[in-house]
Amino acid sequence: MSDGVLIKVDNLHKKFGNLEVLKGVSTEIKKGEVVVVIGPSGCGKSTFLRCLNLLEEPEKGRVFFEGQDITDHKTDINLHRQKVGMVFQQFNLFPHMTIIRNMTLALTKLRKMPKQEARARALALLGKVGLEDRAESYPSQLSGGQRQRVAIVRALAMDPLVMLFDEPTSALDPEMVGEVLDVMKSLAQTGMTMVVVTHEMGFAREVASRIMFIDEGIFMEEGSPAEFFGNPKSERLKDFLSKVL
Amino acid sequence: MDFWLNLKDELIRNFITGARWKYLADGLLVTLRVSFFAVLIGIAVGVVLAIIRSTHDLCKLSRFNPFLKFFINFFDFLSKLYLNIIRGTPTVIQLLIMYYVIFASVNIDKTLVAVLAFGINSSAYVAEIIRSGIMSIDRGQMEAGRSLGLNYVRSMVYIVLPQAFKNVLPSLGNEFIVLLKETSICGYIALQDLTRGAYIIRGITYSAFMPLIAAAVIYLVMVLGLDYLMKYLERRLRRVE
Repeated sequence: MSDGVLIKVDNLHKKFGNLEVLKGVSTEIKKGEVVVVIGPSGCGKSTFLRCLNLLEEPEKGRVFFEGQDITDHKTDINLHRQKVGMVFQQFNLFPHMTIIRNMTLALTKLRKMPKQEARARALALLGKVGLEDRAESYPSQLSGGQRQRVAIVRALAMDPLVMLFDEPTSALDPEMVGEVLDVMKSLAQTGMTMVVVTHEMGFAREVASRIMFIDEGIFMEEGSPAEFFGNPKSERLKDFLSKVL
Repeated sequence: MDFWLNLKDELIRNFITGARWKYLADGLLVTLRVSFFAVLIGIAVGVVLAIIRSTHDLCKLSRFNPFLKFFINFFDFLSKLYLNIIRGTPTVIQLLIMYYVIFASVNIDKTLVAVLAFGINSSAYVAEIIRSGIMSIDRGQMEAGRSLGLNYVRSMVYIVLPQAFKNVLPSLGNEFIVLLKETSICGYIALQDLTRGAYIIRGITYSAFMPLIAAAVIYLVMVLGLDYLMKYLERRLRRVE
């Protein structure tokens, strides 16, 4: 917990079959930081993110959250996940539940919060993203951008200490990307710690406190947006930036 | 004119005289009772088997402690064995074994024997249907549940199973129809169900047409009713999407 370090990743390795996706990744993420992870597709950035709440289990290496080793089998992983909000590329809203039920499910089942209180809290959060009038709708009745905004506030309802975003705008129609990024920007301004895997370079430049470039299973380079975009050091990053900018 | 008179005579002879319709009515009650309770057993056991099988297939077992891992592998093995045996042998044989072997020395109500035999038989098919439903749900649904902090069982119960159940409702309805008609072999253990009732009337009156057609029509009406019920349920569940 020294110097406000929230997450410490130590020498992370992950294989899928024979494919070595992560080959020793280490970093520290401090409270209030917005870390943007970029890299070519298949480089392991999503895998890195998913290791932070153990949706993927690393073969080697450790992940500390508030000083606690979450890769240790004795750690209550469900309790850890309550503190870590996650937003998926495919939204993953529960299609058989109303929006409000999507948001209150974990609150009522895990936090044992009374229904009325959970509902009020969910409605307040929906209000922040301009969707309070859709509370009784089902996910299929919403646009992609609206669904992703709901997914974000669903994760926020649990009052997480950090939010993980796994390519939150990649499955969206172009005209809906903006509304989701706006929600993420205002979330960053509230001081929320965020780890964002994305291809949105504009978002990275504007919002990130630090950008990390993953390639070939390791952190190739990292830095503030200014040095990252202004003065890339490695050839790989120069090459990557020339393709995406 | 002759035909109609004849038909009326036949009807009276087969069903009215000596209150022979009661064979059909009593038989119908037995058929309904056996089918109903067998369906309940089939669903209860089937869901448990489906969860064991899909938990084994879907979960990364590495995170579980060795005891739990052994536990899941062991029960998965038992479930597979059960499914293979039940689906691999004829229902009649299962019914006969249940009556003449397992409950041979016990004085037990035949209806109960039939309920157990058909319930166990149906559970194997229901298990595979539900399992296919569970496997058809996108992995992201379970992941979303887990990422909120819900444990495996709760994610299964609140998120995956309701969607899986809805997806396989047509197949489940089909299985219930098959089960209802399969109970017509109850006669093998001399349990007087609808089919057996019709058969008894035939033995008394020596006319096959009337009792057998009557039984067929009653089965048909039951199946149509069941089908209507399942379609209604499907529509209600689909409405939300």
